[in-house]
Amino acid sequence: MTNNICERLGAGTTAVAALLIAPSLAQAAPNTFNTALPVAQGEFIWREQAVVRERSSGGPRDRDVSVQALVSVLGYGINSRLSVFGAVPYFFNRELDVTTPMGRVNRSTEGFGDATVFARYTAYKHDFTGGTFRIAPVAGITAPTGDDNDGDRFGELPRPLQTGDGAWDGFAGAVTTYQTLQYQVDAQVLYRENGRHNGFAAGDETYFDASLQYRIWPRTFTSGTPGFVYALLESNLVHRNRDDVGNGTDPDSGGTQWLLAPGLQYINRRWIVEGTVQLPVSANPNGDALEDDYIVRVGFRRNF
Amino acid sequence: MLKKLLVLTTGLMFSLSALAANQYTLGVKGVACPYCAFGIEKRLNKVDGVDNVIVDIGDSVVRVTLAESKTLTEDRARTAVEEAGFTLDSFESAEGEQADDQ
Repeated sequence: MTNNICERLGAGTTAVAALLIAPSLAQAAPNTFNTALPVAQGEFIWREQAVVRERSSGGPRDRDVSVQALVSVLGYGINSRLSVFGAVPYFFNRELDVTTPMGRVNRSTEGFGDATVFARYTAYKHDFTGGTFRIAPVAGITAPTGDDNDGDRFGELPRPLQTGDGAWDGFAGAVTTYQTLQYQVDAQVLYRENGRHNGFAAGDETYFDASLQYRIWPRTFTSGTPGFVYALLESNLVHRNRDDVGNGTDPDSGGTQWLLAPGLQYINRRWIVEGTVQLPVSANPNGDALEDDYIVRVGFRRNF
Repeated sequence: MLKKLLVLTTGLMFSLSALAANQYTLGVKGVACPYCAFGIEKRLNKVDGVDNVIVDIGDSVVRVTLAESKTLTEDRARTAVEEAGFTLDSFESAEGEQADDQ
């Protein structure tokens, strides 16, 4: 019974997807999504991002979902326009609290999640003194490397709570960047099609993201390459379709959500240290679908 | 004594001239943050003979110093800058040779 109820957790797999898609991976860039700026030919970028995500739903089940994860990303510049990336999350905890006829139940798991590889190609660039404008298509796949049949004392965990969804997923989109010495604006549209495995498919997702990074320090330039501090304000609008379960759909999954993320970013020649808190502005969930309460992202990037 | 002084002065002038000839200033378009600078440094440091690369981000210029007897051509500089994902705008050696793409 508990398992059946938990099967309707909904949108849990999309939490995995969001963790994988979200990291910004190249140069000075948003904290919550990819960017168009290139990785230099032969250059590597290593990124670690700690993510704490809290979600909840209304209704009689009163679900709470907590995720604590570390997302590791490695990027490589094949040439000045084409970069490839690999990303894998490790979930220290994926936990569900839900009200059932037996009372409040807690279920959790941990482990590596599904790995993602993707590529970005700078299709258009216009460089000018002290700035650049770029447009880059992005495409990738997520492989079912995470565990999709973990269990606990109640039996097998519900599919959305597993660290992997067992399916191959694909995504594609485009990202654009306008950067000057004073500020940077990025925007992205991305569609993600989630695959089906053992009768379950997380709903497909469409992302509309934007970011403003404004240099607040130094106020004036000295010679050389000083470190920058950017104030960030990022916007993330996502629409999720309902999850497919068996021959139907989960009515308590999917919907539309808009988050804003203020943050800070310190950048020097070799390192970026950054942090944001994503907060919900508005949401239109389907039924009693889960909604984000907040997402904290803290991490660093290092090039070599 | 005068002869020694003349030789020393001539030697010093020759050395300064040789050193100056191995310094180049590149104008680079597209660089707008410190993290971008590393890619340019890395690509230019792979060029044979390059001793030092300094990116002056506020002025959008890159100062390149080469070892004695080594030279940097504009084509090689352009390739390195483009491999880093940016655009070479101007090329100037310390001797005054210039090329402006604007």
